[in-house]
Amino acid sequence: MMSTHQETFISKYVFSTDHKMIAKQFMWLGLFFLFFGGAMAMLIRWQLAYPEQTVPWWLFGFLFENDGGIISPDIYNQLFTMHGTIMIFWAITPLLIGAFGNFVIPLQIGAPDMAFPKLNMFSFWTMLLASIVLLSSYCLPTGTASGGWTSYPPLSSPAGGIPGLGQTIWTLALILMGTATMMGAINYITTVVRLRAPGMGYFKMPLSIWGFFLTSILNAVFVPVIAAGLIMLLLDQTIGTEFFLAGRLASGEPGDPLLFQHVFWIFGHPEVYILILPVWGIVSDLLSVFSRKPAYGYRVTAIAMCTIAALSTLVWGHHMYTTGMSPLLGKSFMFLTLLISIPSAMFFLNWLATLWKGSIHFDPPMLFAMGVIWVFGLGGLTGLYNATVTADIYLHDTMFVVGHFHYTLAASVMFGSFAAIYFWFPRMFGKILHPKLGKIHFWGTFITLNFVFFNMMVLGYAGHHRRIYNPLEYDFLTPLAGMNEWITIFAFILGDFQLLFLFNIIWTIWKSKPSKKNPWQAATLEWTMDYPIPHGNFEEVPLVYHGPHEYSCPNIKDRDWLGQNEQITI
Amino acid sequence: MHKKNKLYNWRALLYSTIWFKDAPEDVSLDGYRIDNVIHYTDFVISIYFGIVIAALAYFIYRYRSTRGHKAVYDHGDSKHSVMFTGGLGLMVFLSVDVVIEKKAFQDLKDAFWNFPKGENVIRIEIMPQQFAWNFRYPGPDREFGTDDDIIPAQNQMHIPVNTPIVVQIASWDVIHSFYLPNFRIKQDATPGMITALWWQATKTGVFDIACAELCGNSHYKMKGYLTVETDEEFRQWLTENSPEESTDDEWDDWGDDDEDDTGVPEKWGWTWKELK
Repeated sequence: MMSTHQETFISKYVFSTDHKMIAKQFMWLGLFFLFFGGAMAMLIRWQLAYPEQTVPWWLFGFLFENDGGIISPDIYNQLFTMHGTIMIFWAITPLLIGAFGNFVIPLQIGAPDMAFPKLNMFSFWTMLLASIVLLSSYCLPTGTASGGWTSYPPLSSPAGGIPGLGQTIWTLALILMGTATMMGAINYITTVVRLRAPGMGYFKMPLSIWGFFLTSILNAVFVPVIAAGLIMLLLDQTIGTEFFLAGRLASGEPGDPLLFQHVFWIFGHPEVYILILPVWGIVSDLLSVFSRKPAYGYRVTAIAMCTIAALSTLVWGHHMYTTGMSPLLGKSFMFLTLLISIPSAMFFLNWLATLWKGSIHFDPPMLFAMGVIWVFGLGGLTGLYNATVTADIYLHDTMFVVGHFHYTLAASVMFGSFAAIYFWFPRMFGKILHPKLGKIHFWGTFITLNFVFFNMMVLGYAGHHRRIYNPLEYDFLTPLAGMNEWITIFAFILGDFQLLFLFNIIWTIWKSKPSKKNPWQAATLEWTMDYPIPHGNFEEVPLVYHGPHEYSCPNIKDRDWLGQNEQITI
Repeated sequence: MHKKNKLYNWRALLYSTIWFKDAPEDVSLDGYRIDNVIHYTDFVISIYFGIVIAALAYFIYRYRSTRGHKAVYDHGDSKHSVMFTGGLGLMVFLSVDVVIEKKAFQDLKDAFWNFPKGENVIRIEIMPQQFAWNFRYPGPDREFGTDDDIIPAQNQMHIPVNTPIVVQIASWDVIHSFYLPNFRIKQDATPGMITALWWQATKTGVFDIACAELCGNSHYKMKGYLTVETDEEFRQWLTENSPEESTDDEWDDWGDDDEDDTGVPEKWGWTWKELK
């Protein structure tokens, strides 16, 4: 199995077909965009707390010199549009799915590589091309896209009043990004189905693999839907079709602006689960590793995740309650959405029950995994308001929604990604991230992000609508100015703690000593080989005898875990 | 008839601390329904979230790793465990989701989707454009699309207090959303389709109309004023805004081609679409 071919610098680090190297490439890409999108978040917060005041130098104030040092309305719209787009598609997706999906899937199922290594390489390079296209829109004199990350037409069409090509380039970049995602999804599905090591039945896979597997299925099914919608949008933007134009802006037979919303959310709601399913899987595994106890109700958790993946395809309408949809549809979507709470409650209970009577170690990956219980608990429960047709009439398009989806997407998915980085860093780089800095990073992030996102929901309850440049335009929002300022201050502190994290990564790679082979004493297959893991991963095809969470088995005397490939009967 | 739900008003206590802010004053007949369902949701999710966090905190303390302490080897895959998690999941669904759903459906049936009919109902057509609100009232003939239609100044909407208001909304250009924070309602305005909304004010005053859907660079300034006044004042205002002399132009849906400098034809509008 060991690959013996000679590797040059180019074939090893640039055009690599090794899933572990591609994972690292995705990770650096994701981290770059995470900080890029994060910097934009800071500017958005600056404008909301100190509307139309001079941007200080430490927030890159020199970028705004042409506008007299302040953020102008069109720049503000570009900021939140690109913040959303970049964080969802260019930060979280490459970091969680691109990097850890790639790194973990072959190693955990005992495969030598992905099923299609070259397709894997193309996936990364298509993603990089998409990134360059996206960033090129910043060079346009009229700036980049500003129609919101949802990019609803007719606003996002040329007739909608947004000048320049930014919106078109945004669409093009997203189509390319979707292509990269589809390549990845097909690869991941095939790998999981075809390349599991002998003995690795579906119900012996780690729950992380279940998460990545379900995510890839959703990606393979729904990314083509949004791609179709985006291609139609691109045609509207470039060659003058009118799929989504109506009213004054349609020159001939009117199209239907609502059609785009349907297409967008048919993909858009599963997208939420595309991003969160790997997190659920990773958290389920990590809770087990660091409690030294088998994941409670493994099958129930896996089946609950499948159920949610299936239900997630039937609930997109809850994003559209205020569009004037028929009452029957509104009710059906509400009911289907609420059904999700049954499987969610079940795996939540399993998480808690995994900790129950465990022996809990508080290493940084575990802190972030337990942090997910908190932030996803709040994020999931606050989804109830948005699922309720009546409450949503008031809360739709307010900061409440912003706070809610930052709990589920920003907080939960980031915590999941951080947990993954801290946990698998010894496998990727042979070194452990500094644990003290990791703990400071966790507590600093946890406290400040709760302050920021919870108070966003309070603002929304107080009526603060979304995407407004200057909240002081409205009398009913002026009492909230103080709160906006506090949120901003905490957001800045939140940002600073991420710089600490970046420092930890650089310092560890540069200075830290090599770690042990299996520092967390985990039972899954990725910890069985020495670092650096060779191209081809396993010297011999591993045979799998046990489930992924054999911790604290009383029949094993000298240690408290049993590797999946150890031929010991228990 | 304001029925404030006392049971869940513990939240008001929290608002008095500096972080918590209350929703804008509710001056509508049915806004309390939305406040109530929000407060009920607050109440139940606080309980469930509290239980989860209490359990998490207790387990962290009780089962932290210490020397000699060994975890219990339990896969939690017995029939008993599965019944337990399934049962609790169902319990959450029945105690939270089903209750919220029942409340919401009842409110939709009784209020939000129960459009009032009758002689006293005030009907208004609303057509937002980038970045202003246009309103149209039927004149004395109670028909839209006739010469006596009343089109007040942009961004100025007047309604009588304690009278049901039914509006139909369609956008002129991009998608907007008609948002009345003090009435707890919003409705998207989409080009090419007509949506409807109704409400009833319980208090006179001037309230904000906001655009809740991103519609361009000046989205944040797309602000209107809703003046709620007595019936006499409202009639007076209508008379003041009546067209001075009738013109002979033919009525046509979406108006004629005499555009003013904003691109909106002078006679925008549509014949009132009867709702089912």
